[in-house]
Amino acid sequence: MANGGAEPLRRIEGQKSLLGRTMHAIAYDEIHDEFIVPQQFAQALLTFRGSASGEEPPARVIQGSRTMLEQPARLALDAVNNEIYVPEDDKVLVYPRMGNGNVAPTRVLEGPDTGLGAASVAIDPVHNLLVVVGARRREGTKIMIFNRTASGNTKPLRVITGPKTMLSRIGGPHAVYPPTGRIIVSIRGNIDEELASDESFVGVWNINDNGDVPPRWTIGGPQGVLQMVRGVAVNPKHKELIVTDKRLNAILTFYFPELF
Amino acid sequence: MRVGRHRVRNAVGLSLILGLLAWLAGWMVTRDQTEIAELSRASQAALRQPSGSAQLISSEQLPEMDGAMCEWMPASAENTLLASLWQGQRPGAAGSQQAQRAEIRARKPARMIRDAYAAYSSIAVDIANNEVVMTDENLFQILAYDRTANTPPTARMTEPKRMLGGLQTKIEFQCGLYIDPRNGDIYAVNNDTVDTLVIFSRQAKGNVPPSRELATPHGTFGIAVDEAAQEMFLTIQHDSAVVVYRKGAVKDEAPIRLLQGDRTMLADPHGISLDTTNNLMYVTNHGSVSSRRTDVPNTGTLGRGENKPNWPLGQEVAVPGSGRHEPPSITVYRRDARGDVAPLRVIRGPKTLFNWPTGIAVDPDRDELFISNDNGDEILVFRASAEGDVAPIRVLKGPKTQIKNPTGLYLDLKNNELWVANFGNHTATVYARTASGDTPPLRVIRSGPPDAPSPMIGNPHPVAYDTKRDEILVPN
Repeated sequence: MANGGAEPLRRIEGQKSLLGRTMHAIAYDEIHDEFIVPQQFAQALLTFRGSASGEEPPARVIQGSRTMLEQPARLALDAVNNEIYVPEDDKVLVYPRMGNGNVAPTRVLEGPDTGLGAASVAIDPVHNLLVVVGARRREGTKIMIFNRTASGNTKPLRVITGPKTMLSRIGGPHAVYPPTGRIIVSIRGNIDEELASDESFVGVWNINDNGDVPPRWTIGGPQGVLQMVRGVAVNPKHKELIVTDKRLNAILTFYFPELF
Repeated sequence: MRVGRHRVRNAVGLSLILGLLAWLAGWMVTRDQTEIAELSRASQAALRQPSGSAQLISSEQLPEMDGAMCEWMPASAENTLLASLWQGQRPGAAGSQQAQRAEIRARKPARMIRDAYAAYSSIAVDIANNEVVMTDENLFQILAYDRTANTPPTARMTEPKRMLGGLQTKIEFQCGLYIDPRNGDIYAVNNDTVDTLVIFSRQAKGNVPPSRELATPHGTFGIAVDEAAQEMFLTIQHDSAVVVYRKGAVKDEAPIRLLQGDRTMLADPHGISLDTTNNLMYVTNHGSVSSRRTDVPNTGTLGRGENKPNWPLGQEVAVPGSGRHEPPSITVYRRDARGDVAPLRVIRGPKTLFNWPTGIAVDPDRDELFISNDNGDEILVFRASAEGDVAPIRVLKGPKTQIKNPTGLYLDLKNNELWVANFGNHTATVYARTASGDTPPLRVIRSGPPDAPSPMIGNPHPVAYDTKRDEILVPN
């Protein structure tokens, strides 16, 4: 229930952590009590104990010539099926959760029929879906819904895109809430705005949506409190949506029971 | 029990809340019936497909830990309680889905974690005008103070003489700072969010556009200027490179030199300092790096770097799987080094104590090299001529120093002082140049109360919720 200028309860940082000062994704694994962070500069996936603190080394590191990692800025974790998903623009790489060292992906989703651009991924293990958000270069942003185990040159099951969606430019990692089939996506707004945008918002879709479908709800905007939204996470326990905003340099928590 | 700890003592208020909660529960059940049926059909279809491997075949929500009341009255959450009350007053209660959507769109956050005070990240002294200038990576400002300002221990903060900030300034995560000794112009480097170096005149204040802008590669961090050669050096974190521009470069001008490649040993470079006496360039490296393809020209291919010479090879041409964690280091080059050349010397190894070495300043006359060791909460001083795994000749560290996550430093050779920007505690601290050990600062400039907590949020990008500890995880 942190609020205002709260001191962090713990910090994981420093040379031995293998982290850097530029981290663009994190996934918490509530089954195994771990969290995973990608290290984009060193092309690595770092898994830490859930209670990690201070200058603690990761418990496992996926890194090396067989990984195919290029610029792993984001990732998703499927704690049920024990897999890690990494979007790499025109492909999605999948690794075993317990992978350690120079590990090759167990499968790769890639090819013209996939429609990727992949900027962000999330897994719905209940409905067995892989939800990808991104855009091919010079194409509009879209939400692509694949079978979770899709590999190779596989078409998405459904694609949400078009002017009614208001999907302009993705803000950061998106989320799914499997029990209600929600897809929660942060949208920065106008692509030309680097600093702040009145069009920034978080939109909510359903896993069965397809085509040019407007978000079922938006929160924080457009023309709302959000200025340059980044990441999202759900807190089912308290029926809340947690959002980061780069321009506010803040973490906002919305009470959002409709999501759950 | 949570409810017991946060019992509502007013009977009328409790009745009101219970009534609202009962109504809300009923409303939610009715509203979601259609979607639940739809989801159920989709779930069954998805779950019944054979895949040849283990599948999740059922899923049930975990029971609420503390009963139904806790769902609506979370522990120690006055704000959430207020939110739930406020939730009950929304127009959606009257009916239309459209009104409900409008209400959700305009909904205010129940909580916001945000630091109210400036977090100093880089620092420089305007010798001619006797001022010290700092960048603030929390509230996105550039702040100018009297050089001799000193916040009394009982004071809340020291007011700056001038402030720059606001959307027109394009100031955001400014992490590198240079003051032109000739006219006091302020050069401020952005890291990771706005690929623009902004330059302001010394007199500028408020929300004003920069007097000059330069489109830079993504991920700039440190800045150094060779006044004699009229050249400006920038480190590029994301691509492990150093680019050199004309000092007067403007808008879309291309760099005139590039230092990048595996032989350079640049690895997540941060600070940069020049020794123009001995014609040397010093760079601090955190150590994370990946290789770039060697079969592509050093000409930008994307965005603002397109077709520009001497543009760093970006992550889009990284060699897959070449990433590695090198030890943190100081790499030393000829001042005019370019291309993929090896450093003349490297300082690295366990004796150095490097732990995210960030800010750097060289004093060639005394053969000294000052490093702000971010995660060590200390300033390390080496012989500038040092090489290999060497111990610092002085360490400034300890509770009396007030040094906390020092990301920037400045060596004032006129006044014989060392300035430190402490990102971790709302202070800039100044010491005698020769200070070592647990020495209190000569002066302190503080942006907030001495006991104000420091969230140290800096460009919070992703976020996760730790269900086990009820904690929010935020990489920066």
